[in-house]
Amino acid sequence: MRNLINFLIQYSVLILFLILEVVSIGLIVNNQEYQKSVFLSSSNSAVASMYEVSNSVVEFFKLKAANETLSEENTRLKNEVMRLRNQASAFKPEKKDSIRFHIPPEMEYNFISAKVINSSTNKLQNYITLNKGLRDGIKVDMGVISDLGVVGIVKTVSDKFAVVIPILNDKIKVNCKFTKSNYSGPLQWTGVDYRYASLNDIARHVTFSVGDSLVTSGFTNTFPEGIPVGRIENFKINEGDAYYNIKVKLAVDFRTLSHVKVINYKNYREQRYLEQVATEK
Amino acid sequence: MLRVIQNILLFFVLVLIQVLVLNNIQFLGFVNPYIYILFILSLPARTPRWFVLVLGFVLGLSIDTFSNTLGMHTAATVLIAYARSFIIKLFTSIDEGNNPIPSFHSFGVGAYVKYALVMVILHHSALFFLESFSFSNFWLVFFKIILSSAITMLIILGLKSFNRR
Repeated sequence: MRNLINFLIQYSVLILFLILEVVSIGLIVNNQEYQKSVFLSSSNSAVASMYEVSNSVVEFFKLKAANETLSEENTRLKNEVMRLRNQASAFKPEKKDSIRFHIPPEMEYNFISAKVINSSTNKLQNYITLNKGLRDGIKVDMGVISDLGVVGIVKTVSDKFAVVIPILNDKIKVNCKFTKSNYSGPLQWTGVDYRYASLNDIARHVTFSVGDSLVTSGFTNTFPEGIPVGRIENFKINEGDAYYNIKVKLAVDFRTLSHVKVINYKNYREQRYLEQVATEK
Repeated sequence: MLRVIQNILLFFVLVLIQVLVLNNIQFLGFVNPYIYILFILSLPARTPRWFVLVLGFVLGLSIDTFSNTLGMHTAATVLIAYARSFIIKLFTSIDEGNNPIPSFHSFGVGAYVKYALVMVILHHSALFFLESFSFSNFWLVFFKIILSSAITMLIILGLKSFNRR
């Protein structure tokens, strides 16, 4: 017994060291289940409100670029409205529809705009914090886009804030397709450069060329079809490979990202439920 | 007493600088200096070892909380907190009863640079390998470690040469 106590006293520092290391490794591993750690992350409201203050200073310098993209989008949307209005007047129905109890397909999606208050581009697993949360209608698994293209997927939500996993995180893959051929494959970040990602599983027989644009495939219920993801920068294929090695230039510049839109897909739960039932049986 | 207050202040200042300024520096796309470990480096040489460990744990946890990397900085900082006393013993010979703050003056320039370099490289290696959690992209991680360590060292030595005491 005395030996044991002596041993413990002699190695107390080493034991403390090992305990602390085990705790921190445990934290890293448990962090996979991200929901558990909302408290110790930047969606914790104390930390997030500090970032909000610091961001209000930094945001000032991004105003010009943000203004430009906004006005560009504005004109584009106005044109679109005009075009649709013309179209709609051509197709005016003669009498009113009977009762509509479903959400019409053209209103399945609406957007919640949010501001980026913290983000990184230099790690293997990057995250983005937004200044909107549950009370603004954001839920886990919603897609996030900017005016330029796909940003990522909402991972955790607290009352006022949300954390997004962007494409710049090797934990997620976004399914996208060629606008020309409709052939689809998963897009994943390589962890090196924030401007580029790689597109996998494109088989040898598919034809495409440098500069072709990629959009979301719409096979998942997070993103609707046709949101820009990026363009083919270059590609190569070795003699024995079945799949291409494709480098994609991302549409979104994650360094200057400041305003984003969260996609609210109104039939999400119904579709999810139906798919779950189908796979269970 | 003055020393304690100084150290508490240093803790908060370093954490704030790290999360608000340095985490936004992305030299060459992915190189990021981590100077918050200067706090562990600057604790008095004979601080009780268990206390250094606890401080390292708290420091790492605060950085992790801000950068959404739960556990990574904590593990790396606890590791250098443990290794600290051995590294000090390796490079310097401090008299009994003396308890100097590590600096160019108390350690000598050569010994301090060696001490800081070993600590920084140890910390960065642990951090970047924990981040990738595999050896699959070894050379990318290796490259990151070397570059980030160099920049962290530059900043630490620069700061230290300002308050030469």
